Amino acid sequence: MIQAHLKKRLHGVNGEFNLDVNFAVAEGELLALFGDSGVGKTTLLRCLAGLEMPEQGCLTVNNQTWFKSFHQKTIPFNLPPQQRHVGYMFQDYALFPNMTVRENLEFALRKGSDKKRVDELLAMMSLGELQHRKPETLSGGQKQRVALARALASEPQLLLLDEPFSALDDAMRSHLHDEVLRLQQHDGMTAIMVSHDVGEVYKLANRVMLMEAGQIVIQGSPAEVFSKGQTSGKFRFTGKILAIEAMDVLHALTVLVGNQIVRVVATGDEATLLHVGDSVLLVSKAFNPMVLKLEK
Amino acid sequence: MNKLTGRIAAIQCNSHMSLVDVVIGSDTLSATLLETPEVAEYLKIGNRVSLLFKETEVSLAKNLTGLISLRNRFAVTVRSIERGDILSAVVLDYAGKTLTAVITTRGMDRLQLAIGDEVEALVKANEMALSYDL
Amino acid sequence: MTYDLSPLLLTFKLASVTTAILFSIGVPFAWWLANTRIRFKPAVEAMVSMPLVLPPSVLGFYLLLAFSPTHWFGQGLDRIAGIRLAFSFEGLVIASVISSFPFMVHPIQAAFQSLPHSLTDAARVLGKSNRQTFFRVLLPNIKPALLSGTVLAFAHTIGEFGVVLMIGGNLPNETRVASIAIYDEVESLNYAAANFYAGVLFVLSFLILLAVYFINRKKQNQMALHQGMPK
Repeated sequence: MIQAHLKKRLHGVNGEFNLDVNFAVAEGELLALFGDSGVGKTTLLRCLAGLEMPEQGCLTVNNQTWFKSFHQKTIPFNLPPQQRHVGYMFQDYALFPNMTVRENLEFALRKGSDKKRVDELLAMMSLGELQHRKPETLSGGQKQRVALARALASEPQLLLLDEPFSALDDAMRSHLHDEVLRLQQHDGMTAIMVSHDVGEVYKLANRVMLMEAGQIVIQGSPAEVFSKGQTSGKFRFTGKILAIEAMDVLHALTVLVGNQIVRVVATGDEATLLHVGDSVLLVSKAFNPMVLKLEK
Repeated sequence: MNKLTGRIAAIQCNSHMSLVDVVIGSDTLSATLLETPEVAEYLKIGNRVSLLFKETEVSLAKNLTGLISLRNRFAVTVRSIERGDILSAVVLDYAGKTLTAVITTRGMDRLQLAIGDEVEALVKANEMALSYDL
Repeated sequence: MTYDLSPLLLTFKLASVTTAILFSIGVPFAWWLANTRIRFKPAVEAMVSMPLVLPPSVLGFYLLLAFSPTHWFGQGLDRIAGIRLAFSFEGLVIASVISSFPFMVHPIQAAFQSLPHSLTDAARVLGKSNRQTFFRVLLPNIKPALLSGTVLAFAHTIGEFGVVLMIGGNLPNETRVASIAIYDEVESLNYAAANFYAGVLFVLSFLILLAVYFINRKKQNQMALHQGMPK
């Protein structure tokens, strides 16, 4: 569906580098762009949306040329963003401050679209009660939901999402993940998403491209990309020792993992080598953890 | 952490899991892993690996008879005992190497363990982790 | 005692016409200036700001030269269109537009520049033309600046003296605006009339500025109220 071969010079924190990517996205696929900040993920999305022009390459979507660089005396062709019909969710949300939540969505509707779509989206994002509020009165998570709803309102043929779920709490994030999966599976929506969340990429993406300094380093299914190297089906976390207490012949270690405090047991010999404040790796066999489902 | 070093003698695997046999001296010990040779490159017959297992996962038996599903059982000698209220640490000699078992003091008393006793150490294959030393 | 009201009426006519013209050319110009990447942008910005620092008499002097029937500009205008700008109301309008230009352009340009660029991007991605983006997204979000620009330009035109004196002179019902009338009345020691004109200008200017600050404060209060609401 999408064939992209794009090159563009970028100015990063550590000097100039080249965005140079070559990839394809199939109809109905959800592709995740994964990588550190400043490696060109957002620029790539902007090039796909037509908001920035690549210097070289070509971009075709559904057999329609969107971009073609200078080639054999032809002038570069860049289809304006207005004619690309993409849904774009901006990292800063870019909600129109002069319009209410509802007006933001209505403004995004294409000509001839049913206004019922606005009500559906408001319900889907649980925004019904906020529909007459102005964006400046909303929290970050609420703005993010409005931005996602607005990107969907125009019934785009391609959805571009720049860190779409980063400001949401766990319950709402999980709910919206399910909605996006439903849209993708039922409506066959094609989407490209920037994400820093491995769990999210695992759950949503069919394919992930790991980017470094403008290049695609690895691409494949999330399982293929993320299981190379560090994670190999083992249960392992890094943490910091908060306390060491003797108990019988053993020692109890209190360790901070992420923002959770866990207690693990170490033998006397091990404990003599450890000090409060040390960073440790906690490893367990994948067989050991018992799994209990949490009720929402 | 107990550590025994040996060579991989056999690997049996399905799509996600492997049962790896490691030869240590005259014994063959096994570890079940949620890894396969395709993903984990160190899983090759002949490679030198270490079996790691936590002291609390070691059981001790005296005069064990009958059938048992456990495959990791090996003869050890009690070298010293550190007695606690609930748990006790038993330091063992396994063919010159030192291992430790942490068992309940009650269980230790039932076995009437004393320094110099010859006992059998038992570890489930699930509890064995492999580490690959370069 | 009755006073001649025509200088006051002429002042407000001049200020209204000038502000209307400034609004229609100043807003697009401010947008262009906020977005342009041309190399001589600093030169353009410097030219726009010149009336802020120049003595009004300098501006008036050059306009007088240009408008005079002996200058090619004034001569051409006279010959082609039959318009004489020196010592006429039309000439005053042109001079006021130039001298009040920065008061309209500056706040609006600053407001355009402070709008996040992603708003324009978002509208374009949603299929909106530049025109729709300008009128439905950009302009509604700089309303306070539009108000400030308009009021400042209006108030500054009312207060203009030097330029008017140079190119308008003191012709009743044509160029004799209130600020000139005050000067004229004082010259002829007619303090009561001067006081009348001055008082009206003083009170009116105060009321206009009061209204602007009042509206701005109301907007801020509304915002504070919204932000204090439970989420």
